[in-house]
Amino acid sequence: MTRIGAGYHTVEERLRTLEERVEEQTRTIDELRNRDALKTQFLSNVSHDLRTPLTAIVTHAEILRDGILGDLSPKQLESICGIISGGRQLIGMVGEILMYARGAADQLSLTPTEFAIGTVIEQVTSQVEPLAVKKGLEIGVDVEKDMPPLCADREKITHILSNLLGNAIDFTEHGGRVWVNASRTTTVQSAASVLIEVGDTGIGIAPEHHELVFREFAQVDASASRHHHGTGLGLAIARKFVELHDGRIWVESAPGVGSRFYFTVPVHASC
Amino acid sequence: MGAHILIVEDSALVVSALRILLEDAGHRVSDAGSVRAALDIARSDRPEVMLLDLALPDGDGLSVLETLSNDGLAPRVTVAVTGRDEPHIIARCKRLGCREVLVKPIRAMALPTQVAEWLAE
Ligand SMILES: Nc1ncnc2c1ncn2[C@@H]1O[C@H](COP(=O)(O)OP(=O)(O)OP(=O)(O)O)[C@@H](O)[C@H]1O
Ligand SMILES: [Mg+2]
Repeated sequence: MTRIGAGYHTVEERLRTLEERVEEQTRTIDELRNRDALKTQFLSNVSHDLRTPLTAIVTHAEILRDGILGDLSPKQLESICGIISGGRQLIGMVGEILMYARGAADQLSLTPTEFAIGTVIEQVTSQVEPLAVKKGLEIGVDVEKDMPPLCADREKITHILSNLLGNAIDFTEHGGRVWVNASRTTTVQSAASVLIEVGDTGIGIAPEHHELVFREFAQVDASASRHHHGTGLGLAIARKFVELHDGRIWVESAPGVGSRFYFTVPVHASC
Repeated sequence: MGAHILIVEDSALVVSALRILLEDAGHRVSDAGSVRAALDIARSDRPEVMLLDLALPDGDGLSVLETLSNDGLAPRVTVAVTGRDEPHIIARCKRLGCREVLVKPIRAMALPTQVAEWLAE
């Protein structure tokens, strides 16, 4: 009797201890979530505040470049153009951080319209073409005939494509090849979708990093001596945008051979 | 030809750049860094064009337009400048009568041409 009673008491006590522990863990998780949200908010505020002076710097430099305040010597012009492209690069990075912060805070929504995916691919490709040419890369586009029009957020699809294509160019050495293909496909739930492939013959990604690269701030080579400088947010944002459309994004790649990034967008997901 | 343009923006850095561009295009430029200053200027020297930053230190930029409209003193053209392109913000600007909503970072070099277009309407 005493033993059973004591045992019962012990079980009850242990239960209570466990409950207390669960409560404590829940509090810790909540606390961490709050701090994470605060940091995201901080990131967003800082980026906002960086953007204003950056824009002013670039605009002042453009005023000088365009000769509004008088003529410049060719050397001065070259220097001013350096300020402008550096400033633009920074504005672009700040924009990525802001976009990421909004995604993390679930503040992103879709503004869908109907458009031809082929047109968007052409646009993005012609935008990055000078970069590719400068690096001596061959760039190819192949869009399947009679693709159905896509109803999606055109700006976001454009953003995904320029990020993937930008990476393909960044991580491919002189003389390599990059390409964009688009074709029809169906999802597991058999919804009509488009499948877009952005491929390159560049440095590739080791299998153990295939998941990692889609994480925010992840860079395979994060050493200070790395050649490539970016925020490490491009693919995290791309993934967010694809998922907003109920699509999927993944990579197939082998070091030294090249990478193929794929994403799908259901044709009618957003309309 | 030249119009009176009021730039409502609290960053002196941005104002100085826009001022050079718009004065070069032959306009007269005033600036205000707060809701209060904007109302003061707009009431005493009504601008044809108002570039309105939505985030001002003493409140919501759109309240400037709202107040002026209620007094029948709205500028011919008001253009909102915002750091956030969320659909509900853009809708609110349009509802209050903004001719256009420019999302930061704005392409300042295109402003003189845009101003000419707005004034030609
Ligand atoms: N096509 C590719 N080939 C090889 N590695 C790649 C490729 N695309 C991405 N990666 C790897 O994935 C990492 C993350 O890419 P992501 O686009 O997210 O960021 P980033 O390019 O480093 O920075 P940002 O896009 O902000 O400039 C890259 O740093 C690189 O290590
Ligand atoms: Mg990138």
